[in-house]
Amino acid sequence: MAAPLPAFVTRRRPDWDALKELLDRQRAGTLRLGELRTLDVLYRRAAADLAHAQTFYAGTDVHRFLNQLCGQAYAAIYQPPRERLASTLAFFRQDFPRTLRANGAFVAASAGLFLLGILLGAVVVLLEPRGAELLVPEHLRDFIARKEMWTDGILTVSPPNAVASGIATNNLTVTIVTFASGILLGLGTVFVLINNGVHLGSVAALCVHEGMGGKLFDFIAAHGPVELSIVVIAGGAGLMVGQALIDPGELPRGQALALRGREAVKLVLGCAPFLALIAVVEGFVSPGDFFSSWVKASLGLALGGFFWLYLLRAGRGGAGAGAAS
Amino acid sequence: MDSAPSPSLDVATPERVSLSLPVAGIGYRCLAYLADLFILFVFWVIAYFTFTLLVSDVIGFFQGLSGLAQTLLVVGVFATQWVYWTAAEVLMDGQTPGKRLVGIRVVRVDGSPVGVLESAVRNLVRVVDSLPLVYAVGVLSVLLTRQHRRLGDLLAGTLLVREERIDLDKYTAPATGSVALPAAAHAERLTSEDVELILSFLTRAPELEPQARARLGTKLVERYGGLDEAGRATVLASPQSTEAFLRARVQTER
Repeated sequence: MAAPLPAFVTRRRPDWDALKELLDRQRAGTLRLGELRTLDVLYRRAAADLAHAQTFYAGTDVHRFLNQLCGQAYAAIYQPPRERLASTLAFFRQDFPRTLRANGAFVAASAGLFLLGILLGAVVVLLEPRGAELLVPEHLRDFIARKEMWTDGILTVSPPNAVASGIATNNLTVTIVTFASGILLGLGTVFVLINNGVHLGSVAALCVHEGMGGKLFDFIAAHGPVELSIVVIAGGAGLMVGQALIDPGELPRGQALALRGREAVKLVLGCAPFLALIAVVEGFVSPGDFFSSWVKASLGLALGGFFWLYLLRAGRGGAGAGAAS
Repeated sequence: MDSAPSPSLDVATPERVSLSLPVAGIGYRCLAYLADLFILFVFWVIAYFTFTLLVSDVIGFFQGLSGLAQTLLVVGVFATQWVYWTAAEVLMDGQTPGKRLVGIRVVRVDGSPVGVLESAVRNLVRVVDSLPLVYAVGVLSVLLTRQHRRLGDLLAGTLLVREERIDLDKYTAPATGSVALPAAAHAERLTSEDVELILSFLTRAPELEPQARARLGTKLVERYGGLDEAGRATVLASPQSTEAFLRARVQTER
């Protein structure tokens, strides 16, 4: 027969209070090594008390209190390893490129969708120039009609570093949206990819049609390869999420989703610093005619080449060790 | 488990005890969000006023800023929008300041604390949850899922648990009142439900309407007192003596 509730609380409470205090200390980071053992002992006692309370005092405040206390102690004791700077380096050296290669099919599918959008936009505008009224925003059409690049004006308004930071945050937002909308069964990502593709394709086609192809090429040559790659990679991450929702395989849908979500976000987080770097190029190099088209084009090719070389080669050595971890 | 009004997160620990943590519903989530929003808002208001107090020519100041400072400014604005949530959740054990205020915490579905990746996922998907406006998608998702998770939580494998402030003092509070009250003579043992009922009355008694306080006290004494006519009359003389008797009734139960 169980002891009455107040007696139980009076007898056991000192241990609970001690555990609570240790947990506070642990959270504040002032726990000493010797106290760890005490924490462990107290946690086990509290767990036993919880089992006792579940049987004899179910639904009481003591039961709720012990649930919460054990939950906090459980979280403190069974903590996953903390991510630190060293693991950030390891992430960029190995984890990010490896994750990308492991999910290459999704990135390829994303690239296919993006290209499809570009082709659609370009073909529509080239075959039927009036289609541009539908696909190209009005302010861009105005610029093109005046045979000006809309990007020429950027540097007269603000200095290149402000442009760069503006572009970086804008591109980050696009990347995030491309990834996050994958949660809508992947349809959001498909839409964003095709939509951006159509936009790019139709603008390019209109520029070519109006004899401004050279100017457009001049503007996007330096940053285009890396920037479009990143959008495509984020699209791949979104498609991974969509695939986990549609075809979770042998796992329950919720688990598959959480598992793929963790993988997919690595692609987005990995892209973030590159996005910031490429925005610098887009702000400083791309606008204006300080650099010749050929300098821009070769810079763009070189950056794109390095980026993909890194993605495809980094962290290949010791792949066995990586697979085990 | 019966159809509990509020869902819970059940965790099977290696100690073979199952934890059951209460899940935070939409009310707690909204409150915490509003609190965070308020904090960010206040931050910007203060920043704005100190800035305009210190600098008289605002536009001129911005134009005069070096390129680096302008870049930092733009990146800083971006950070409050995106990084605040994840940084707070990672550094404060799954709580943003707003969540701490309301008393809720982000945990993984297995009850362990969130890491950088989970927190990043759930806060990146915020952009979809807030579609098309005022978090309509997120609200729908919270209402329709069993454990009240928005899309970001589903993708990250996280959920929000509630942390209640439970006061154990009520169990151990000493019986007050030195007046000799008749002891319960032939009382049967109290079950833990009975103890809980009496204690919750005792906790709330000081805030109750006098009539309700007397009525409920009388009922409890009649039900659990086991007193004869004379004893009952002494006990029910005043609310203080009624409650002192009930307190003693619970305390002597050892």
